[in-house]
Amino acid sequence: MKKNLFNKVTGLALVSALAMTGLTACSSTGAAGSNTANNTASSDTDNSESSSQGFRTLDEIKESGVINIGVFSDKSPFGYVDENGDYAGYDVYLAERLGQDLGVEINYVSTEAANRIEYLQTGKVDIILANFTVTEERAQEVDFALPYMNVALGVVSPEGAVIDSLDSIGADDQVIVISGTTAETYLTKNYPDIKLQKYDAYAEAKTAFENGNGVAWANDNTEVIAFSLENEGYVVGIPSLGDQDTIAPAVTKGNETLLAWLNDELVALGSENFFHAGYEATLLETYGADYEDTLVIEPSKN
Amino acid sequence: MDYAVIESYLPLYKDALALTLKIGWQGIALSLLVGLAGAAILHFKIRILKTITGIYIELFRNTPLLVQLFFLYFALPKIGIKITAQTCGVLGLGLLGGAYMIESFRSGLESIAVIQTESALSLGMTKEQTFIYVILPQAVSISVPGLLANVIFLLKETSVFSTISLMDLMFTAKDLIGMYAKTIECLFLLVVFYLIMLLPVSILGSILERRLRYAGFGD
Repeated sequence: MKKNLFNKVTGLALVSALAMTGLTACSSTGAAGSNTANNTASSDTDNSESSSQGFRTLDEIKESGVINIGVFSDKSPFGYVDENGDYAGYDVYLAERLGQDLGVEINYVSTEAANRIEYLQTGKVDIILANFTVTEERAQEVDFALPYMNVALGVVSPEGAVIDSLDSIGADDQVIVISGTTAETYLTKNYPDIKLQKYDAYAEAKTAFENGNGVAWANDNTEVIAFSLENEGYVVGIPSLGDQDTIAPAVTKGNETLLAWLNDELVALGSENFFHAGYEATLLETYGADYEDTLVIEPSKN
Repeated sequence: MDYAVIESYLPLYKDALALTLKIGWQGIALSLLVGLAGAAILHFKIRILKTITGIYIELFRNTPLLVQLFFLYFALPKIGIKITAQTCGVLGLGLLGGAYMIESFRSGLESIAVIQTESALSLGMTKEQTFIYVILPQAVSISVPGLLANVIFLLKETSVFSTISLMDLMFTAKDLIGMYAKTIECLFLLVVFYLIMLLPVSILGSILERRLRYAGFGD
């Protein structure tokens, strides 16, 4: 019996291992197909699986007439679904323009923070426009275009018990973060002793925070400022934490034709002050005029 | 696949397995209790309780666990009832499982010939004695395959715990992928750990089934 059991276990482990390698193999052949139009990515096929995934080149997107853009559906005012069921927000404002200038339909794909890289690597979306902060780790997995917004981390807490320093967080206190965000990575790396309560979507983290499940909520400062402005009784005790980062569109690693078009487009948009217009159309209501110049970046060639 | 990465993630997966098992088994114990109580209520056809049990079964069998967890974790605090994420997990599993366990126990109870109840009663046993000493042991042994299927089903259902911030296996994998993008390694570990958790249950289950097959009367 014992031996039988052992065989079963190892057998199944082997089967699953085989299935996994099978998956990798499939995806690399897929990439080989799409590399015919774009032979720059073919040199690094085996160093990491991320760079050998399939993606659609600029011509392929134009030909199909549809571009798939990954946006948030629950992160007001950047990417959300409005009362009419349409996507709206600062990121979507840019997405709409990209679709228009490219002359294709937009198919919005709702993403969560933690699966943004995945969606690009597996070719489920062509561009991620979901408030994606540029970090070194992420830049190894995807290609970022020029940035269009500034961001840092921030921490919001209830008025009655304001957290204005991370050192004042007790050993038993939990800080709410969203899985896959820069706040999570930053706290995990720099404050490993702080207990994190993780959620996989913005909507759930918000509700949990409102219910008092954590002493504070750490996230992009844009997001926590918006939260404190929209909800009574909350204060952003730590308005800026960690490095000043930027937010940029991202494409699948190696998708150079799309990246080049995107960068040219962003520079063109920057020269017509498109992003200030975007701020005024989507963010002004939440943040007021004070944040306009701190948040907005007009992309330029240098 | 990078084995150094796998090794560095192992402790996190072990923690996740421990948490999944802890909540899983507490929830399953609760579901068995609920199942037994509910099946007894249906068996004895206790008036009002019977209707309540019927509504409970339909309510919990026809709504997803995810919805139940959302309700327990996000809605109840709005009306002043606050329970921890772990308690929510146990309650959610227990209540969902309970509805399925009732049906499994009931199918066992119903398969025992009426003549056995009649015989026991005519020998002077009370209704309760008949149920506990004659009917239930046979019914349970018949229900075992169904109960075990429920156990495995419930352990797998733990994969939706991420919504209520519990770091179960699924969420640990998703979270690591979100942070470090080592997709293949994370998913490989995920499959292996689910197998580590569920294969022994399946194997023990089939042994148990074989042993208990002889508990029946007459055949």
